[in-house]
Amino acid sequence: MKSILIVFLSLVLLQLSAGAQESPFFITYTHHMEEPGNLDVEVSTTHGIPRSGQNAYIAPYVELEYGVTARWTSELYLEGQSTLGDSSVFTGWRWENRYKVLGREHWINPVLYLEYENLNEASRIQKEIEGGGPDLVSPNALLTPTHDHELEGKLILSSDYRDWNISENFTLAKNFSQSEGVEFGYAFGVSRPLATLASAHDCRLCRENFALGAELYGGLGSTLEFGVHNTAHYFGPVISWALSDNSTLRLSPGFGLTHETNPVLLRFGYTYEVQGFAERVAKLFGRRP
Amino acid sequence: MSKIRAGSVLAAFLAASCFAQNPNYQPDPEWRAPTQAQARENPLAARPELAAGGRKLFVRNCAECHGRDGAGLEKIHSADLQLPVVQQESDGALFWKITNGNARRGMPSFSKIPELQRWQIVLYLRTLKNQAGSGPATKSHQQQLFSLQPLSLPVS
Repeated sequence: MKSILIVFLSLVLLQLSAGAQESPFFITYTHHMEEPGNLDVEVSTTHGIPRSGQNAYIAPYVELEYGVTARWTSELYLEGQSTLGDSSVFTGWRWENRYKVLGREHWINPVLYLEYENLNEASRIQKEIEGGGPDLVSPNALLTPTHDHELEGKLILSSDYRDWNISENFTLAKNFSQSEGVEFGYAFGVSRPLATLASAHDCRLCRENFALGAELYGGLGSTLEFGVHNTAHYFGPVISWALSDNSTLRLSPGFGLTHETNPVLLRFGYTYEVQGFAERVAKLFGRRP
Repeated sequence: MSKIRAGSVLAAFLAASCFAQNPNYQPDPEWRAPTQAQARENPLAARPELAAGGRKLFVRNCAECHGRDGAGLEKIHSADLQLPVVQQESDGALFWKITNGNARRGMPSFSKIPELQRWQIVLYLRTLKNQAGSGPATKSHQQQLFSLQPLSLPVS
């Protein structure tokens, strides 16, 4: 705990100025894409606080988000998991792509999302919940041998109304390794910056550097058993703090609404944006981007 | 005489590099704000002191492509925001372009920036016009542009 605190304080103190504008959501996607040529490096964790019969766990993941074009963003995830009294395991990788369908801003902005997942059943980062939710009870030794090759699609609908962002995500996922049918899930999010005018000076604790919101997400069963019976659902506030022009810290305590959940999911995320990443790589190889 | 001529050429070159790093910028003729958007007025027009915050937002979000002085970067064909072709646009048109971006030219949408902050950026863009139209660059003006010290804007 002490080392986490030291790392956190170091990150804060290393920043020179304040103010990136990143969505505070962990689960819900908006229509705001990564700027072309920029790379976001994000380190996040999902901590599961157990209920009776479950073990506490921490599931860290690294996310590399790259703006391919102004309307196309691609992301690679690497994830693991460590369960108290059990073991630490690498749980797999994901590759996702988001494409903004319309070139201009509208009342509702649709984004299409396609993801390939190569995970084992011990995955607990819970970037989305589809079907009934993950197995939070079985030991890792039982879960890791089962590999899932899954294709996941989402329809992301997102609106900016005044200074509010309102986003809805509808998920369907097909696991090609098991006969689970097609699974469904959802996520809704609402967020707003704490201040809408930028002050003249650089500051770390100005209200304009904070965004607050809330997320609701969960599974909706599958084609074999559609509905909310035996599914996991969470609700929780989200907060983001722009530590600098390039970095953002996010926090969300999510509260389990059904018996299939952890009572509390604590999420932390730190994002660092490398501006002009494509140009830097091109220069490295002596080429123009 | 030749020294004076060389000095003039050098001064002209320095002025050009200060104020028109992409003077050959050609706007995308198909990237036009709708009439209704062009007619929108800046709700912060009566508060010019907020341009200082707009400058901070500009450096954070726009300078990577348009340069810290807004003069554009020729190698990526980004707009020189000091040119009359840009400055003649209405506030509403500039706001619309910041909000929607132009994917064909690689400019992303900045709708993620709160609306009033986008208007603050428009306020700041208007100060670039004043810089471009103020004649040859003075030493203190150049220092302000390149040292990223706060511009001489009234601050609330």
